[in-house]
Amino acid sequence: MALISTLLALRRDPRILKLPPYLSALCILVGVVWLLVLPLNEYSRNTYVSENALLPGQVHTYFTGSEHNIFRAYRHEVAALVDTSVQERTQRLGDIFRSSNLKVATQKYEYHASGRNISNQNVYAILHGPRADATEAIVLIGAWRNMADEVNHSGVALVLTLARYFKRWSLWSKDIIFLVSGDSTSGPQAWVDAYHDSYSPASIEPLSIKSGALQGAVAIDYPAGPWGHRYDKLHVVYDGVNGQLPNLDLFNTAVSIASGQMGIGCTLQRMWKHDDSYQERLQTMLRGMISQGLGHASGPHSSFIPYHVDAITLQTVGNGWHDEMSLGRTVESLFRSLNNLLEHLHQSFFFYLLMQANRFVSIGTYLPSAMLIAVNFTITSIALWVQSGRGVSTPNPASATPKASPDSKTSKPDSMTAAEKSGAIALIPTTSLAITERKLFLPLAFILASHFLGLLPLYIFNNTSEPYLGLAFNTITAVTTSLPVLTALLLSKFLCPTEQETTLIQCFSLLLLGMYLSALATLNFSLSFLVGIFASPLTFVRSLAPQTPPTTQSPQIPPSFVSKNRKSLSATMVILLVLLNPLVVIRAATLYWGATIVEVLVQAAEGWHVWGLWTQVVVWLVWWPAWFAGSVVVAGGLFA
Amino acid sequence: MRSFLPLLFFNYLIAFASAASDYYERLLLRPLPRSALLASFNFRSNESSASFDQQHFRYFPRSLGQILQHAGTKELHLRFSLGRWDAESWGQQPWDGAREGGTGVELWAWLEALSEEEAFARWLTLTNALSGLFCASLNFIDATKTIRPVMSFQPEGDHHNSSSLHLLHGTLPHEVVCTENLTPFLKLLPCKGKAGISSLLDGHKLFDASWQTMAIDVRPICGQDGTHCVLEMEQTVDMVLDIDRSKRPRDNPIPRPLPIEEIACDTSKHYNAEDTCYPLDKSAEPPWNLTDIFGRSLKGACPLTDEDGEGAKTVCINTPPERIIQANTTGQYVETRLASDTVRCYKLPTGADFDIDLPEQQMTTGLVLASPPLFAARSINGHGQERGSIQAVIRNPSFTDSVEFVYLESLPWFMKPYLHTLQARVDTSPSNPIKETYYRPAVDRHRGTHLELCMAIPPASTLTLTYDFEKAILRYTEYPPDANRGFDVAPAVIRLLSPGSSGKQGVYVRTTSLLLPLPTPDFSMPYNVIILTSTVMALGFGNIFNLLVRRFVGADEVQTMGAGGLQGVLRGRITRLRAKFTTG
Repeated sequence: MALISTLLALRRDPRILKLPPYLSALCILVGVVWLLVLPLNEYSRNTYVSENALLPGQVHTYFTGSEHNIFRAYRHEVAALVDTSVQERTQRLGDIFRSSNLKVATQKYEYHASGRNISNQNVYAILHGPRADATEAIVLIGAWRNMADEVNHSGVALVLTLARYFKRWSLWSKDIIFLVSGDSTSGPQAWVDAYHDSYSPASIEPLSIKSGALQGAVAIDYPAGPWGHRYDKLHVVYDGVNGQLPNLDLFNTAVSIASGQMGIGCTLQRMWKHDDSYQERLQTMLRGMISQGLGHASGPHSSFIPYHVDAITLQTVGNGWHDEMSLGRTVESLFRSLNNLLEHLHQSFFFYLLMQANRFVSIGTYLPSAMLIAVNFTITSIALWVQSGRGVSTPNPASATPKASPDSKTSKPDSMTAAEKSGAIALIPTTSLAITERKLFLPLAFILASHFLGLLPLYIFNNTSEPYLGLAFNTITAVTTSLPVLTALLLSKFLCPTEQETTLIQCFSLLLLGMYLSALATLNFSLSFLVGIFASPLTFVRSLAPQTPPTTQSPQIPPSFVSKNRKSLSATMVILLVLLNPLVVIRAATLYWGATIVEVLVQAAEGWHVWGLWTQVVVWLVWWPAWFAGSVVVAGGLFA
Repeated sequence: MRSFLPLLFFNYLIAFASAASDYYERLLLRPLPRSALLASFNFRSNESSASFDQQHFRYFPRSLGQILQHAGTKELHLRFSLGRWDAESWGQQPWDGAREGGTGVELWAWLEALSEEEAFARWLTLTNALSGLFCASLNFIDATKTIRPVMSFQPEGDHHNSSSLHLLHGTLPHEVVCTENLTPFLKLLPCKGKAGISSLLDGHKLFDASWQTMAIDVRPICGQDGTHCVLEMEQTVDMVLDIDRSKRPRDNPIPRPLPIEEIACDTSKHYNAEDTCYPLDKSAEPPWNLTDIFGRSLKGACPLTDEDGEGAKTVCINTPPERIIQANTTGQYVETRLASDTVRCYKLPTGADFDIDLPEQQMTTGLVLASPPLFAARSINGHGQERGSIQAVIRNPSFTDSVEFVYLESLPWFMKPYLHTLQARVDTSPSNPIKETYYRPAVDRHRGTHLELCMAIPPASTLTLTYDFEKAILRYTEYPPDANRGFDVAPAVIRLLSPGSSGKQGVYVRTTSLLLPLPTPDFSMPYNVIILTSTVMALGFGNIFNLLVRRFVGADEVQTMGAGGLQGVLRGRITRLRAKFTTG
């Protein structure tokens, strides 16, 4: 009982409102530190294969000998098709598949994004598992052009050779589909969409032959020309669209087969040299997070993952002594493992961060980091809600030091009300009985409007044709930078928002941000974390209106200083927020990675129209409205 | 270039070998494109109704006969199938698909019973007995997997009192057919795999086939005037073997890459070199013989077959006349040529091994494969845990005839179709191809969905049938051990109404089975819950147990409390001992 009454007495204590900013800062700090300790041995784990049926590397591989001669011939055939038309290429590849007694079909696709016309043709062949009943299938992909737009000579030739070789085996319990897609992103997307019949017939052709439920997909990216190239390592690419990941078992099987059985080193996230130090692990993890956060397609496998088909790309990198046959044997062994599967891959993790080919952290370990960052917004939002309900500050009756404020002294005699309950009479300050009503209309309307406003850039960027994208970006950057100041000016001119209303605007904006980010953290951890970090200053900025009572001000700054430098402080915060404008952040990021902004926007638009990318929605309807609301609130301090 | 000879339907071979003798067997071999070989085994044993009723069995197996009598079964059709028939390469199914089954096990029977309940009880008796006889999980055909088709099946036999007959149909698409089903199948034969064509049936080769189906059909056949009824049991094994794969010896079945000298390279390619070889297609017919293909030798004729006449022609091979065939045996055999020499039949020697040898040969003529009446493919579309849709694409290859057929779907109860989304479109005409619909909705955990559609496709058209369905969430005990594999959905059965077959057998086409992924819980969760509740229980139990059995005394009541350390402990022990002795 004593505890409850102490807490109840504390409830009215104005000191309690000073706590949330510190609490939020602590959340952010712990969230970031949490992420930084993940690469340590104590917080990450060695990978392991959970699914017993996979038995990686337990089979002898026989893809050698005369198959190598045939591979070289097919590589010449592929090289001869480089300058031919799409139609001719498809026809010839289909003929080679047909000569291996496989069923062949083709698929045309044509997409329009940012005024570009993405059209090409897929050709695929189905190897009927000799004893299979068309219920399950695994896919081997060789995109005609890889992500770097090089012709995938050896990759396609290897797919052709393996198709011929696999046909002779009688042990396949699943159908095997060999897919040579026209390109690395839209082609596989068109194919997998048509396979699951979720497509618009205007842009892609339906598949004339199909097999059963897809159980896994492996893509080969080996662009060595007709005279070959010996590689050093296999780069395993695993990011799917929207940051979805394949089952960790598939990745582990590939790594275990390549490094354990074939002796080929494996690398990930373009970390060509990895000495297993803390820095390297952290860098790998951060690269993985950025790739996941962007949610773009990272290879031909990416399109499969949204359909719950686990997929990876094996990419050859460097100069070494491994040849195409060792890659072929790796794929053979991987397919033998997948062929063993009795169930869909489900045993291992779908949410993980990899920091080396054999080290990972699972969602249980890393999730608190993004959650803490999301929680910091919620804490501040609750604090702002409570603060908005406090009318005038009252002296704490329990506090020993009397308030120096003159008006509280003069109003003291008539500020007491007698309350009577069961015969006892108590004197209570009238101010603490007064009810402060919150005016919700303006804040809610503002928050709603700012979220709808986000639809504009979303629409413009996804539907502007390529030549105008740069212009559109610069215009929108300029508009969004000046918009908060203008809005604040207009608001103060026409609607004169009270201090309570500006507080509520910030409160709702942060509440929504916290909610969205914590929900997003369970789907795409990295995106939630990155947006949370860039939005974290929004927790600490406040509207510095002149009537601000001293108790609710920013705790770090003494009141006299704030009231004196109100305008200049507001201006500083506005400038800080301008730097954190999502568009400015995107521009800075493109400068840092040496990409052009048009390239990024074209990719994003293609993602929006073809791959079903959702990152833009998060940027324009979660991050941007929160930033806009925060900036308007701060800019209000300039005009009040 | 090859010229093509018209192919003789081999059903013709069967037609005239009717109830002439009581036991009849025939193996028909037909090379198919892409080095495949269709082997079609047919065994037929008759028993007159009178002796069957008196349980006097001669050729009819007693084990099966007694089951049929006990369960009141008048006509029985049982299928064990594996793989799929590749209609585009291999053409029309053997027996017009009438002896074919869907993947797994399919069973339908006409039972004599007074009421539906009685019929179902007898059906359960039948499935349980057959389950034991054929070592298959037929006992899992329960109410949820049983339907009563209306249009898709017609009795093949002659039945007198057809009003009291009930047709029940059940499928087990998940059942894996293997050697344990073949052994009881062979035991039903009079020669039991020891002689005759059944001596070729070896589990290793049969189940390595690209497609195989084992069928048992029991039906009563009566004379013109309704008397002289016999009970006929027909056992059929059809399989398509890959000649290259089947010829690999059993002790070295690995298809290692051939030495480069044995591969025919295309030397016209500009890059052709020592280490580069573009493989040439083999256009010649591959060499094979019975012993290599089946892994066993044919042990002469079964002595129960006819000595002469049609019934004696036990092994037939359907090839162009120019194909060289060498019969190897030490005994006496007779070769007959039928159907303008495209079919060669052999009367087997008794007691001596028989083999036919076909050398590698460059052919100039080929056989035209009969085109199947319909091509059917079915797939599950959509993704996610909640909904999906089924799409069946049925194509009529004929340029002249329209085809009318019945489409039968038997869906498990946890797959709930929305009938209002059922759409059938024909690409060449805007009219609705559905003539008639029979639909019996599912009842959760009691029966599955039964959907029969009577449809027509105009010539050279494709019919696309789609409907959406919802996936139910099962109770966690209802999941099988391999829940994440998905659930098998039985193949759709298509029966052609016109053009149908002249006989009573009908023309059938079946689609492949489907794999339906259902929302699956994380099964480690119940385990975690058990662990957590056990911990809580243990904690609670421990505390209460402590309270109950421990004696709590005040600190001042203990005399030795003052002295700590070893002395205190010792003194405490002594006090306790003394207390024990004094009280007890």
